[in-house]
Amino acid sequence: MAHDTTVLVLGGGSTGCGIARDLAIRGVDVTLVERGNLTGGTTGRMHGLLHSGGRYAVSDQASATECIEENEILRNIASHCVEETGGLFVQRPEDSDEYFREKLAGCRDCGIPATVLSGREAREIEPYLAEDVARAIQVPDGAVDPFRLCVANALDAERHGARVETHAEVIDLLREGDDIYGVEVRHDSGPGKRTHATPGTTEEITAEYVVNATGAWAGRIGAMADLDIAVRPSKGVMTIMNVRQVDTVINRCRPKGDADIIVPHETTAILGTTDEEVDDPDDYPEEQWEVDQMIDTLAELVPIIEDARTIRSFWGVRPLYEPPGTGTQDPTDITRDFFLLDHDERDGVGGMSSIVGGKFTTYRAMAEEIADHVCAKLGVDARCVTAEEPLPGSEDIAVLEEGMDSFGLRSPIARRSKQRLGSRAPDVLETNENEANPVICQCEGVTRAEIQDAVEQSGSDLNAVRIRTRASMGNCQGGFCCQNMANELHPRYDEQTVRDALDELFQERWKGQRHALWGEQLSQAMLNYALHATTMNRDNDPANAPAQVDYAQFDGGA
Amino acid sequence: MAITDDVLVIGGGLAGATAALAAAETAPDARVRLVTAKQSTLRHASGLIDVLGYAPGSEGQEQGQGQKQKPIVDPFAELDTLPTGHPYERVGGEAVRDALEFFDDIAGDAYAGGHTDKNALVPTHGGTVKPTARYPAATADGLASDDRDALLVGFETLPDFEAPLAAAHIESAGAPFDARGVTLSFPGIVRDDAKVTRYAHLLDRDERVQSPGGSVNGEIGAREALAAAVESHLEGEPRVGFPAILGDDRPAAVRESLADALGVDVFEIPMGPPSLPGLRLEDLLYAELEDAGVRVTSGVPVVDYEAADGRIDHVVVDRNGAEIPHEAAQYVLATGGLVGKGIESGRERVSEPLFDCHVPHASDRYNWFVDDVFGEQPYARFGLAPDRELRPLDSTDDPEFRNLRAAGAVLGGYDYAAEKSGAGVSLATGYVAGTRAGEESV
Amino acid sequence: MSEAEQPIDDGVPSDQSSDDADDEFEPVQVFPESEEMDLRPGADNCYKCSTCDTNCPVAEVDDEFPGPKFQGPEQWRLKRQDDHDIDESVMKCSNCMRCDSSCPSDVPLSQMHNTARGEYVEENMSKFSREYIRNRMLANYRRLAPLASMFPRTANFVMGLSVTKWLGEKTLGVTSERDFPEFATETFREWWTKRGGAHVESEDKRIAYFHGCYSNYNTPEVAKALVRVYEHFGYEIMVPDQSCSGTPMFANGMLDDARRAAETNVRELAAAIEDGADIIASCSSCSMSIRQEYPELFDFEDTDTVAEHTWDAVEYLRVHEDLEAELEGTSVGDEFDDFAYHAPCHSRNQGLDGQTIEVMDAIDGIEAHDVGDSCSGISGTYGWKEENYETSMKIGEDMFEHMAAAEAETGLTECPTCSMQMEHGTGYEIRHTLEVLEAALVGSSAQSAPATEPN
Repeated sequence: MAHDTTVLVLGGGSTGCGIARDLAIRGVDVTLVERGNLTGGTTGRMHGLLHSGGRYAVSDQASATECIEENEILRNIASHCVEETGGLFVQRPEDSDEYFREKLAGCRDCGIPATVLSGREAREIEPYLAEDVARAIQVPDGAVDPFRLCVANALDAERHGARVETHAEVIDLLREGDDIYGVEVRHDSGPGKRTHATPGTTEEITAEYVVNATGAWAGRIGAMADLDIAVRPSKGVMTIMNVRQVDTVINRCRPKGDADIIVPHETTAILGTTDEEVDDPDDYPEEQWEVDQMIDTLAELVPIIEDARTIRSFWGVRPLYEPPGTGTQDPTDITRDFFLLDHDERDGVGGMSSIVGGKFTTYRAMAEEIADHVCAKLGVDARCVTAEEPLPGSEDIAVLEEGMDSFGLRSPIARRSKQRLGSRAPDVLETNENEANPVICQCEGVTRAEIQDAVEQSGSDLNAVRIRTRASMGNCQGGFCCQNMANELHPRYDEQTVRDALDELFQERWKGQRHALWGEQLSQAMLNYALHATTMNRDNDPANAPAQVDYAQFDGGA
Repeated sequence: MAITDDVLVIGGGLAGATAALAAAETAPDARVRLVTAKQSTLRHASGLIDVLGYAPGSEGQEQGQGQKQKPIVDPFAELDTLPTGHPYERVGGEAVRDALEFFDDIAGDAYAGGHTDKNALVPTHGGTVKPTARYPAATADGLASDDRDALLVGFETLPDFEAPLAAAHIESAGAPFDARGVTLSFPGIVRDDAKVTRYAHLLDRDERVQSPGGSVNGEIGAREALAAAVESHLEGEPRVGFPAILGDDRPAAVRESLADALGVDVFEIPMGPPSLPGLRLEDLLYAELEDAGVRVTSGVPVVDYEAADGRIDHVVVDRNGAEIPHEAAQYVLATGGLVGKGIESGRERVSEPLFDCHVPHASDRYNWFVDDVFGEQPYARFGLAPDRELRPLDSTDDPEFRNLRAAGAVLGGYDYAAEKSGAGVSLATGYVAGTRAGEESV
Repeated sequence: MSEAEQPIDDGVPSDQSSDDADDEFEPVQVFPESEEMDLRPGADNCYKCSTCDTNCPVAEVDDEFPGPKFQGPEQWRLKRQDDHDIDESVMKCSNCMRCDSSCPSDVPLSQMHNTARGEYVEENMSKFSREYIRNRMLANYRRLAPLASMFPRTANFVMGLSVTKWLGEKTLGVTSERDFPEFATETFREWWTKRGGAHVESEDKRIAYFHGCYSNYNTPEVAKALVRVYEHFGYEIMVPDQSCSGTPMFANGMLDDARRAAETNVRELAAAIEDGADIIASCSSCSMSIRQEYPELFDFEDTDTVAEHTWDAVEYLRVHEDLEAELEGTSVGDEFDDFAYHAPCHSRNQGLDGQTIEVMDAIDGIEAHDVGDSCSGISGTYGWKEENYETSMKIGEDMFEHMAAAEAETGLTECPTCSMQMEHGTGYEIRHTLEVLEAALVGSSAQSAPATEPN
C-alpha cells in the first residue's frame, strides 16, 4: 500500500520539530502535524533556560552530563536562538552549606565548568542581587528562545522536503489490527498556511511509521488506538517581568523547591516555577497564589522584583513519565529523563513509537535517538548530522555580528532584529530604498519587514507571527500593536480574515495579562481597553452584525 | 505661607478643566487654581465627545466578542434609565444637558454635533464606526451616517491606519456609501519613525518639501505636495479622509488648503494615542482657562493634605522636593482613573492615592476581571462612589470631606469604554463639581 | 589553580568576613556610577501613550530625532547589560526636559536621556572629533568665561568679529548666525566683594545664592537685583564658592565634567545649609539641575539634602514671604512697560511656568503677557551648534510669533539662553523677573542699566 508519507510526526514542539528535521536531513520523507501553532504545547510554555546541567548536578548526574553536552552543541548550531548569559547558583544565609558543596562537586563531576564567587563578586555581575546573598557558583547556563529554535527546526525540515502542517489536530489514529498506519486530522482552515475564517476540512494522512511526540498529550493520542501511555502531566507557572532585572540566569542553590529560578529572556525576565501534577493538560487551574509565590520568593534573591511590573503569567505542562510501577509521589522527584516507547515491543502494536519525558535542552539528542530508532525500523542507513549542521539563521553568525549594517534602523532596533533573525537578517531587513520599513511593535522593536517575513512563513495566524518576531510581547502586550500587526495582513488577506486574526491575537494577549492585573499592568490594561473599545469600538463593531445599525437614524451632519 | 485660592482643582484633564471653568463662571470673583501633575490623558483620547453610545451592562457579565448591542440613537433620552450610582444618575439628566451646552459655548466652531440630540456615527482608525455626541470640526465631513462616497488616504510610514483595510471594514459595517482606500508616502517625511507632530508641523507651517515624483520642479509647500499626491487617486469621491494629522495649531487652514486643491471635502479620522484632536482640545481648554483667569500650576503633583473638622484645610504640592502648601475653600479632585493614576492598584488593593478616599472593589484580585477581554470588566468601573453633590463617600456612605468633590474618571460605577461615555461623564461631573465648588467658595 | 590543588571548601571565599571588613573601611557605593546606571526598571512605568513624543519640540521639526519615547523607555528596555551602542540620535536631544515633565506616568525620561547621552559620548564618540571638542568647549563655558572676563572689552570685540565667528563655524561648528553673549566689565562676585558682602545680618533668615555662570559673568544686574530684593525682605545673603551647575555638561553627555562640578557645588552648598541657609537660584536651569538632575545622576553624601533645600528665587519669596501682598500697589515707574513673558522649559519642569504672570499681576501699571507654552528652541548649547541652528530657529518660531503678537516690546524670562534666543529672534530687549521685582520693591535708586550694556 502506498503511503502519503514515510514518517508522520505528531506534535510541533521541540521534540517533534527536532525529529522532523533530523529525518528530513537524512533523506526520509516526513510530515509533521500540530494541532495549534508550532510550540503551542509545552515548548512555548517554558522559561527559556538552556541548562548547563548545574540544576541536575546533585540529583541526576546522567541528565546533567547530557545537558552540558547539548548546551555546547546548541551554542554552535543555534547561536541565533541562544544568549550566552551564564548562570549563578546563589546561596542565601539560610541555605545549606552542605548542599552548596554538593552542587559544586556535582558540577565538577559532570564536566560543567563551575566557579565559586563571593557575594560581592556575584553582585558585581548582577547589581540587583540581594545584599545578603552569601556566595554563588557560576555555570554556563544560557537563555534560549524556544519559539525561534522550534521554528528554525521546522523551517530546515521544510527545506529538506518535509511537510509541516500546523492547525491540524489529530482526531483519530488509523489502526488496522496490530498496525498503526496514519492519522486523521482536522484542518482548522484547510491544509497549508493558515487562513483565518476559512472552513476546515479533515484529511487522512497515512504513513509507514508514526512518531507520537505530543508530550503531555501522548496519553490522549495513545488512547485513540487503545494504547495506555501513563504520562503524568505536571504544571508549572512562569511569571514574566516587564524588563530584565538580571542578565544572568539566577538559580537558588538549594535542594529543590518552587520559585527558584530567574531567566533573562529577550527583553524580559521570567520567574519560575512550580511543579504540580494535573489530570488534564488542557484544563487545570491557574491560581493567584502561584503567581504571588513566584514574586515573593524570588524577591528574596532579587529584591526589586517585589515592586516591579509583571506583564503576564503562563503555565506549562511537563510531559513527565515514569515506567509503570515506579510510583514516585512528588512530581519534582520524577526523572527528567526521556523514554522511547516502541509500541510494537511494548504493546504488540506496530507502526508507532511514542516519546515521553525529557527536557527542552536535550531535545536534539532525543530527536537523534528517535530518528536512529525510526531509521533502523525503516532500514534507512544515514548518519545524524544535527549536532554539526547549523540551523537556518545560525549559518554565518560571525559575519553578521561584525557587520555594521543596521539596515537604516535605529541601533537598538537593528541589534534586536539581527539577533532574532540571525544570518537571515540581510534577506529580511534589506528593503527597497523607496519602501518604508516602519516599526510595527515599538516595545520589541519589530519592523514591517520582519512581520511580513513571518506572515510569509505562517499565514494569517498572528500568534504565529508573534512567536516568530516577538511583536506584541512587550509591555503594552499588544494594546498598541495588535491592530498594526493585523494591518500588515492586508491586502494579502481580506478584511474578515484580518478582523478574525486580530480578535484572536488580542484575546490571547489578554489571557496571560489577567495574571498580572495590578499596578502598571492594570493601568496598561485599562488604556488598552479604552483604545480598543472607546476609540475603535471593537467591542461593539457593527461589522459583526451590520443589519443592526440603521445609519439613517443618526446624525448625518449639520 | 500657603498659596491661597478660593477653589483648587486637582487634575488638568477634561473634567478638571471643565470644573475650573465652571467654578470661574459661577463665582467670577473667586480665585480659581488648577494644579496638574504632568499631562492629562486628553491626548490619549480621540478628541470625540461621547455622551452615551451603548446602554451600560451589568458588572461581571461574560459576553462573547463582537457585536453585543445596538448603538443608542439619542443618548439624552437614555440618561434617566441609568442604574443608581452611575455618574449620570448622580448628577441628573438636566445637568448633562447643561454641561454639553457649556462645552458647546467653549468649543465654538471647533466642534460640531450640537445641532441635534442624536449621536453621530464616526469612522474609527480601526475601520469600525462608533456613536458619539460631538465631534471636532475636522471630522464633520467624515460621518459614517453621511451617505457620500469616501476615499481614505493612509501613509506607509503610519502603520496605525491601513486605509484600504479601514475602507473595507467600513463597508462591512454596513455604512451607506462606498469607501476606498489608498496608501501613499507622505511628502517631506524623511524617516520612517517620524512622530505625528512632525506630520502636523509640516502642514501647519506649510514647509517646503520635495515635490512628489521627484520631478525637477524642486520644492513646493507641504500642503500642495500632499494634495498633488492624493489627486490622481480620486475617482469622483466628494470627500477624502486622512488620519488625524492635519495640523496641530492651524488645522482649519490645513484642511481648507487641501480641500481647495482637491476640490472635495476633507476630513480626519480620529486616531489613538498620541492624538492630535485630543491635543487640540487640550489647547482649546487651556486657552479658555487663561481667558477665564484661572491660575494654572502644572508639572507638579499634589502629594499630601491636612484636614480638620471634616474639611480639607490645605494640600501640599511637591515641587522637586520642596513642599508648597496650597489652601482653598473648596477642592475638586479630577485626577483621572487607572490610566491617569487618580486610581492606583497593588496586588492587595485598589486605592485613591491622594486622599485615600474609599474605592469599592473586590478583595480578591482575580475578581477584578472577566475572561473575555471585552466582557463586563469590573476593573473598568473602579473609582470613587460619590453622593449627588459629587462628594466622594467613605465606606459607610458619609462624605469623606465636606469641601471635596470628585469629577471625571476618578469616579467609579461606569465603564466609559464600553458605554462610550468618557467625555460626557467628565464634562457633566466636572461642570457640576465646579459649579457647586464655585457657589460654596464665596 | 587546578582543581586538584584546590579543595572545594577552600575554594569558597569566606565572604562574611571580607564584606564586614569592607563595610567598615570602604565608602559604600549605593548606586553604580551613572555611566553604568541600569535604568531599565524605569521602563516599567511606560504605557506607550506617547505623551512625551507630542511634547518634544525637536521631534516636531526634525524627523531625524525619533522622540523621547524611543530614546527613553524603549531604548532602555531593549538594552542588555553588555550593549553599549546607544543610538546616535540621542545627541539630537536638546535636553529641554519637556518630556520629563509631561509623562503622565513618571518614567524617568530626563535621567534616561542624560545617562544614555553620557554613555554614547563615552563609548561611541571619538574624543578627537571636532564635535567632541566643540561640545566640550560649549559645555565648559565657565572655564572660558573667566578669561574673557579679565579682558571683557577685548573679548567682546574679538567674539563679535565676523572672522572669528566664521572661524568658529568652520573650525568648531559653532553657528555664526548668533552673537556671542557679551561679558560684563565687572563680574557679580567682583561687585559683591567690592560691596563688602552682605548688608543684612540675620540668624533666622539666611540664604545662599547660587548665581551660576551667566549672572556672574554676563548679567550681574540680575544677581544684584536678587541681592537687593532679598535684603529688602531682611535676608542675610551668603555667596558660597561654586562651579557650573552642570546643565550644559549633561546636555552634551559630559558626565565626568558634570560630576566634578556637582561635587564642588554639593559640598559648598551643603556647608551653607549647615550654616542655616536655604539655597536660592535665579537661573531656572541651575535650580532644575540641582533639584532634579543631581539626585538622578549623582550620589554624593549631601546630594538629596542640597536638592531639598534649593529653591527658585521668586518661588521662595512666595512661600516664605507674602510676596504678592508686598507687591500690591507698587509700581515700576517709567522704567518698564508691558512684557512678553516666556516660561523656560526648565521652569515648566519645576511647576513654575505660571508664577511670573501671577506675581506681575500684583504690580500696578505693567502686565506680563504669556507667549505660550512652546520651547524657545535654544536649549542652552543646543542652538549654538551649527548643525542645530536651523532646527533651533524652527522650534522658536512659535515663540517669536507670539512675542510679536503680544502687546509688549520687552521680553521677560528667567533663563539666560532663552533670553538670548528671544533677543536673537525678535530684537527685543530681554529682562529677568528679579529686575522687575527690584524696581517695584526697592525702586529706581538701585536701577541697573539694561542687560545688554555692561555696567
